[in-house]
Amino acid sequence: MAECKNIAEEASNLLDGEIPFRKRMALHLHLLYCSCCRAYVQQLKQTISTITVLRPQEKDATDTDALSKKLQELSKKH
Amino acid sequence: MKKNAQPSRKDERLLIKQLIAGESQAFDFIVSEYNNIMLSVARAIVGEAFADEVVQDAWISAIKALPKFEGRSSLKTWLLHIVSNGAKSRVRRENRQESLDDGWESVSADKFDQSGHRYDDVYVWDNATPESLLANDQLQTIIEQSFQNLPAIQRAVLSMYELEGIKMDEVCNILDITSSNARVLLHRARTTLHHSIEKYQDN
Repeated sequence: MAECKNIAEEASNLLDGEIPFRKRMALHLHLLYCSCCRAYVQQLKQTISTITVLRPQEKDATDTDALSKKLQELSKKH
Repeated sequence: MKKNAQPSRKDERLLIKQLIAGESQAFDFIVSEYNNIMLSVARAIVGEAFADEVVQDAWISAIKALPKFEGRSSLKTWLLHIVSNGAKSRVRRENRQESLDDGWESVSADKFDQSGHRYDDVYVWDNATPESLLANDQLQTIIEQSFQNLPAIQRAVLSMYELEGIKMDEVCNILDITSSNARVLLHRARTTLHHSIEKYQDN
């Protein structure tokens, strides 16, 4: 029988469909009667959607114009 | 889950022709499109100190090798493999498999009783869509900061899988980590970002 702790650990794999059948059924069974875990999984899903909309990026101090020019020059030599 | 759209093979073939022809717009495009994710991969493998250098070297190798690019993978995946190989060669002697045995918890252990049930109540968030969550500037900044504070390898897994739409087996090849390792890193990254939103929602 799956418990809240199992949901917290496996929520990502559950959302990505990366859990074997029997285990997945046990987690879904738990979700049927646990509103807290349903809300938690829903929140994690919303978090993922929010990240894909926000698209946070690495801090990047590269001078992209200079790099682009340098690569263009290099390509002319080859 | 909806992933970032990939440029079609036809578009890529055209882009590669433009690059070989030395068209400046094509260079501007690839640098603006791929430099950031290349940096993410380099930081995950070699760390902050050498990442910029590894990325610069990878770009130079890629441009030299471009006429031989056969298109068996996407241009992005090809570039990420070049940066990954460059970074790995910098840390060849180091055993870099990420240790997952550091007591990390997706949800704090004191939130569960002995049988693994939650003590606390979890409620559905009122602002259900990403747009409504991101309408709040303060929350947007909190998520951005939380992302920057993630370990570099978690940022790389999250960025490649979630934002760049790269398949998990490819992410594992690029970072030279196992699938189970990558899945744990992805869950940790997502959970940390979830906590930052949850904390804000609770206040």
